[in-house]
Amino acid sequence: MKKHSVLLNEELCVGCTNCVKNCPTKAIRVHQGKVMIKEELCIDCAECIRTCAYHAKYSETGKLEEMSDYKYPVVMIPPSFYGQFDGIEALTIKQSLLQLGFKKVVDVALAAEALSRKTLDFLNEHSGMFISSSCPVVVRMIMIMYPELLGHLIPLKAPVELMAERVRSEAEAEGIPPEDIGIFFITPCPAKNTTIYNPLGLEKSRIDMTLSVDLVYKALLKLFKEGDKEKTVHNLQSEDMELPYLGINWGQNGGETQLLKENMQDKALSVSGIHNVKLLLDELSINNIKGIKYFELLACNQGCVGGVFNIMNPFQAKYNLLKLRGKHQNWIRQDLDKYNFELESELQQIQIGKLDNDLEKAMEKLAELEREIEVLPGLDCAACGAPDCRTLAEDIVNGKASRNDCIFLLRQQVGSLADRMSELAHTLPPVMKRPRKKT
Amino acid sequence: MKEQMILKSRIEKGDFNRGGENSSKLKELLRKLGVTADINRRVTIVTYELEMNIIIHSDGGGINVYVTPDAVKVVAEDSGPGIEDLEKALQPGYSTANDEIRNMGFGAGMGLNNVEYFSDELEIDTGPGKRTRITAVINL
Repeated sequence: MKKHSVLLNEELCVGCTNCVKNCPTKAIRVHQGKVMIKEELCIDCAECIRTCAYHAKYSETGKLEEMSDYKYPVVMIPPSFYGQFDGIEALTIKQSLLQLGFKKVVDVALAAEALSRKTLDFLNEHSGMFISSSCPVVVRMIMIMYPELLGHLIPLKAPVELMAERVRSEAEAEGIPPEDIGIFFITPCPAKNTTIYNPLGLEKSRIDMTLSVDLVYKALLKLFKEGDKEKTVHNLQSEDMELPYLGINWGQNGGETQLLKENMQDKALSVSGIHNVKLLLDELSINNIKGIKYFELLACNQGCVGGVFNIMNPFQAKYNLLKLRGKHQNWIRQDLDKYNFELESELQQIQIGKLDNDLEKAMEKLAELEREIEVLPGLDCAACGAPDCRTLAEDIVNGKASRNDCIFLLRQQVGSLADRMSELAHTLPPVMKRPRKKT
Repeated sequence: MKEQMILKSRIEKGDFNRGGENSSKLKELLRKLGVTADINRRVTIVTYELEMNIIIHSDGGGINVYVTPDAVKVVAEDSGPGIEDLEKALQPGYSTANDEIRNMGFGAGMGLNNVEYFSDELEIDTGPGKRTRITAVINL
């Protein structure tokens, strides 16, 4: 089964260690001149895709043509998508998606607004601090690196899954056969693609396929160029004409906390960018942040507008979203009972990094690990293919690497070998001994 | 298996910038040993509070952490000046930290409380003008 969405073009990979060093979970190593990802550590944050100067790292989603596999294809628009366009009306975008062949177009932002209200209730009913579980990368990072914080994740589904479930059940209620319904989601990031195969807190994702923003963007651009831009919006149902402006702001960091603030929950903080998120989680895990009730944590810089599939740079896209919202303050009236908010299964720790199942053996290995760290130069140059000396030491203890992978240790060995050779060269057997030449 | 030291550190008085360094390191070590997330969090918080206590209140000291088959033992030791009134120090909200430290967001008087709350056993050896030695045990 497919577990992750980050792929490698081996021909383009030169074996540099930029992605290795920038990976927040230290999931990447270079072996034999090519990078490899340790699957169990990957959280699909796409930092490696961003970092790779050779474009060797990439990600893929479904294709638009796959729409034809379903008689009733539905497309779900993420809030951040609207930030990709400047000067094109949001309703035109929706209309154009119908022209591409989708039978229905829905805003994930609508579910975001509903989730915000539900979250507010949840925060009022529970004491302590909570972390948004809307960004799948953040959830995975907590499952892997901060399991002690799992209990602080809001146990509610992400907007995209809420919407998919709602759309599906509404279509079925209209009498459309379940097998005819295809739910497509325009994804700004590989992580949301991964959650289809590898859902979080769900038995199964309600989404059938993701389409990357860039694919859809290009298809739409073609339509716009053909002059269909002026066409009146006639295919849209009246409920789809209304835009959930507040929810659309979830597409950029701060949108989620802003929504809570509209509801009198001021003790909320937004942090974006995976390395910033990691720093914050470090503080939370030692209980060193006080007075905040809710954390909106987003793996991409500036929020979902920073996703790697996007076309527009995150700053412009963020501004576009803020501009779109403008003075709109209205919530779309909607019934919370259209959604099943609760997660179906508990978010579980993914245990990694354990040296041994037996404590005693693990202790021995830990001591061994400390010895290896002492031996290694501590320069963290990554030339060994591991991100730093500590990680190489761990790989050595786990039998996955050797000291000779370190170029400095190797050089030292070659040096002492050369010394030894020259020493040997000077120890001649007695029969070869000659009196010293007099100069 | 006998007791094994897994962390040994020296902590300077007033070294706020490095506060939390040991607890983060410790968290990683315990994870490698397969200690559960819940226990790891307790040990980490206890260590962080003890670390900050040394930074804020003492003339400097250190923290050593030991592991046995059944427990993690955190030993914080400093070179003085000792806790004047231990009973008061253990009361929630009681702190002798000055304004400067409070302005930095520390000295809320919850340090030792947290340590007590998250430990299974706690032993404090102190007194006015004495060295302080705090041993917190968290069972595995």
